[in-house]
Amino acid sequence: MSEKELLIGQSVRRLDAVGKVLGETAYPGDIDMEDQLWMKIRFADRVHARITAMDTSKAEAHPGVVAVFTARDVPVNEYGLGIPDQPVLCGLGSAKEGADIVRCISDQVALVVADSEAAAAEAVRLIDITYEDLPVITDPEEALKTGAPQLHPHAQGNILTHYRIRHGDMAAGWAQAEVVVEGVYRTGAQEHAYLQPEAGLGYLDEEGRVTVVVAGQWVHKDRQQVAHALGLPEEQVRIIYPAIGGAFGGREDMSVQIVLGLAAWKLRRPVKIIWSREESIIGHHKRHPMTIRAKWGATKEGRLVAAEAEVVADAGAYAYTSSKVLGNAHLMVCGAYVIPNAQVDSYAVYTNNVPNGAFRGFGGPQGAFAAEGQMNRLAEALGMDPVALRAMNVLKDGSITVVGSPLPPGVSLDRVLADGAVQSGYWERPDGQWRRQPVAQPADPARRRGIGMALGLKNIGFSFGAPEGNWATIELYGSTEIERVVVREVGADMGQGAHTAFVQMAAAAVGVPVEKVELLGHDTTYAGDSGSTSASRMTFMAGNAIKGAAELALEKWRAEERPAIATYRYNAPRTTPYDPETGRCDPNVSYGYMAQFVEVEVDVETGHVHVMRVVSAHDVGKAINPHLIEGQIEGAVIQALGYAIMEDVVTKEGRILNPTLSTYLIPTIWDIPQETKSVILEYTDPRGPWGARGMAEMPFIPLAPAIVAAVHDATGVWFDRIPLTPERVVVRLREQGLGVI
Amino acid sequence: MSLWTHYHTPATVDEALTLLAGYQGRARVIAGGTDLLLDIRHGHTPRPDALVDITRISGIATLRQDGDVMALGAGVTHAQIVAEPVLSARATCLVESCGVVGGPQVRNVGTIGGNVAHALPAGDGTTSLVALDAEADVVLDGVRQWLPLRALFVGPGQSRLDQTRDLLVGFRFRLCGPREGSAFKRIMRPQGVALPILGCAAWVRLDESGARYDDLRICIGPVSKVPSRAEAVEETLRGTTVGAEAVERAVSVARETLRPRTSKFRATAEYRQEMVEVLLRRVLPLAAERARTGEAIPEGVGME
Repeated sequence: MSEKELLIGQSVRRLDAVGKVLGETAYPGDIDMEDQLWMKIRFADRVHARITAMDTSKAEAHPGVVAVFTARDVPVNEYGLGIPDQPVLCGLGSAKEGADIVRCISDQVALVVADSEAAAAEAVRLIDITYEDLPVITDPEEALKTGAPQLHPHAQGNILTHYRIRHGDMAAGWAQAEVVVEGVYRTGAQEHAYLQPEAGLGYLDEEGRVTVVVAGQWVHKDRQQVAHALGLPEEQVRIIYPAIGGAFGGREDMSVQIVLGLAAWKLRRPVKIIWSREESIIGHHKRHPMTIRAKWGATKEGRLVAAEAEVVADAGAYAYTSSKVLGNAHLMVCGAYVIPNAQVDSYAVYTNNVPNGAFRGFGGPQGAFAAEGQMNRLAEALGMDPVALRAMNVLKDGSITVVGSPLPPGVSLDRVLADGAVQSGYWERPDGQWRRQPVAQPADPARRRGIGMALGLKNIGFSFGAPEGNWATIELYGSTEIERVVVREVGADMGQGAHTAFVQMAAAAVGVPVEKVELLGHDTTYAGDSGSTSASRMTFMAGNAIKGAAELALEKWRAEERPAIATYRYNAPRTTPYDPETGRCDPNVSYGYMAQFVEVEVDVETGHVHVMRVVSAHDVGKAINPHLIEGQIEGAVIQALGYAIMEDVVTKEGRILNPTLSTYLIPTIWDIPQETKSVILEYTDPRGPWGARGMAEMPFIPLAPAIVAAVHDATGVWFDRIPLTPERVVVRLREQGLGVI
Repeated sequence: MSLWTHYHTPATVDEALTLLAGYQGRARVIAGGTDLLLDIRHGHTPRPDALVDITRISGIATLRQDGDVMALGAGVTHAQIVAEPVLSARATCLVESCGVVGGPQVRNVGTIGGNVAHALPAGDGTTSLVALDAEADVVLDGVRQWLPLRALFVGPGQSRLDQTRDLLVGFRFRLCGPREGSAFKRIMRPQGVALPILGCAAWVRLDESGARYDDLRICIGPVSKVPSRAEAVEETLRGTTVGAEAVERAVSVARETLRPRTSKFRATAEYRQEMVEVLLRRVLPLAAERARTGEAIPEGVGME
């Protein structure tokens, strides 16, 4: 075997392993500069209000304070990933009109820069702000009603986005339906809870560029947004990421980037900020809570014939990535199945809640919660095995989806389902018929075990017509043989190990050991736009770009160029947006396919659900680095377990009541499954580098509906709302006469 | 930003009291600091000028058995309690409650004295000490004295001890003897780090025949504003036959007499009411069984 083939598929040790284990790796908060100042942000004190007066004199006079910045200091006072609907700073005297209104507690109102963090913290409280309260609306269904307060002039009826799907003939579909199941599914908000709260350092670099050292997911998009707000050309702004302490989608939107750039640019001195955990939880977006109404019909043999759904997503106060997340939920709410007749209406609705946005799975988990909930109930209604019902209906190569197009080639759902079911140990198919093994019950009658499953698919890459691609440069140094390879690729490694994969793929593409490869990443000055680390896209997109650049560089090497340097942009196949009437489109470049099998134990007296075991099966196309994949599977399973069972953002009138990790509870070592078994399958993606697919979001997506199915198997009770907090479980169980002596 | 200016490590009780007096209210007692430092950081407690660390006072971190009486210094950590075989066998509820507090790091530094001084209505160690009818060795208003543990609590998070002036030195309680047993369980979420939704400790003594409850002490929290005994429940059981019927009688008295409250993001009153019943059904038979057999192996301690 050649060097290339040997490297792909090896669990090469992470490049960042030793530094992180030794505590030597620098995260944004660890980096200091001489002469640096400290910043504190005054967040909105009200949920929805007009600022009528602001007095900063006491803060300015406070000892140690260097400057106070307000809305009037921001050259172009707007930002937003989707649409620029949020002021950088809310307040008076803004260059952009309408910035005097705060719409949620995440809004930033003023910045204090001082020579110490303590002085900035004291002074920021001394700013006097007069507010005139406006009506607060926190329930998206209320926000949709006629007469509801209108939060943005551009959003009639508070609707940010409405998508439709009209596929087939609903009347004909319902006429064929012999069994119909209906459900109303509700999912909760979720906090990213990354280890590293937002932090950063702004300064002018040696070339006078406004430079922000920060943790994000897309250096070039951060640069664009900072440049836009400061009214500077993009070349005048530089973004650098040191080590990133987790992101999960939570760093896609701006937090400290623009305000650090603004302060450093105005003061021409380094300015640093570190958010507390409370500031982090209040200051960045959450996963969208959604309400999904679904009605599905099948023939009595189990063939799906019709599906209707309505999705209402709480966008929160600003757009962020809501339209894109909704787009994905809109597609996923019909699941991974052939459904000849379908009708879906989806709405993203503005409210005064903390904005909702990107979070691992990006609308997929909400869609799957409804779609897989429907399939599991349908299996029960039909008296069919849930694996058998899915095997009959899953999309295959060439199947037409509810948006009128086939999936990209390489659809492996049927094999992922079958391989996963068998390897879970819970199912067998001795005579071609799927059969579930019985589950052993504990002696204590209060504890009941059950098994459930769910499957899914997730897009890889930007969807719905967004330009998709990735720039990379490969530089080959040496004379007779290649002694050193430099790969320039700025895709973000948020901790998942992308940089290790980049180096591994570059080494394989060039044909050298990984030790000869050096990565120049995480800096807008090193290479062209990589796109964001999101949508499970980075291995796929960067891999294709690195492969392309390496091939070109090797050609130059063979032509005796020294050094041999080549830059390449991988352009992914084009996708198209939803048709506004029918939803018809060719939405995605590629997909990953997954199935999960879960065993739970329910304490029917206390309502505690403990996940005993998870088997997570994934088609990853080609496993570039199996250990990194297992890390993503185990991490996503635990994060999804939190989402399904315990993580609960408690709000009152738009305020978060539990903005600390002692009150917002995420899984601990006592909560996680005794075993998480990764089943890594390799059914080649013809578009992926070495056949690889993205995979990092996939293990999150089917877990909640699989857990709900297992809880149903244990107790006979269906749940349609997550998280499954003990209280909710107890209430539903008692209604059904369970756990009462 | 430093949370304090001066940090002292006195070697004797007198030295600690002198230091506290010298700061005239601007110093606070610290032991493990697992609650105090968070309270200061979150602004629930004003930043003290000085911290007086009592954990190096001679004898304050030791456990001492004197016949059937166990004495614990206030600076004894949760981990020390969990590791003590005599407590596992003869004060099982205390080991079970200290074993579920926080994670290993918290148990390694958090002290039983700190748990009591914090005066939460559901402090795990406190709940068990109340069921064991412990007394506290304190210096209150300059006078060193023994007080019943329950006399220390004024309200949620409010102790009779002024932590800028007074000192909690230690505890004593009788170890379980023949026909005596204890048990503790709690409802929490997630497993480990959070404050409990509800905790329940019970101490039981059976009569000579082993068939009846001779005496009981039951502490359930948070139910009222301070850690307190479920006296009506105890009363209904005294002298009655051990068994499922008695437990159900206890449950119905608990339903009528105990009124747990809602806390914003931990639990509703309704859920807690149900869990009072679940815990009584689990803890009472376990404590009685331990009393009957004279054998006890702590459950749910640390990682299982």
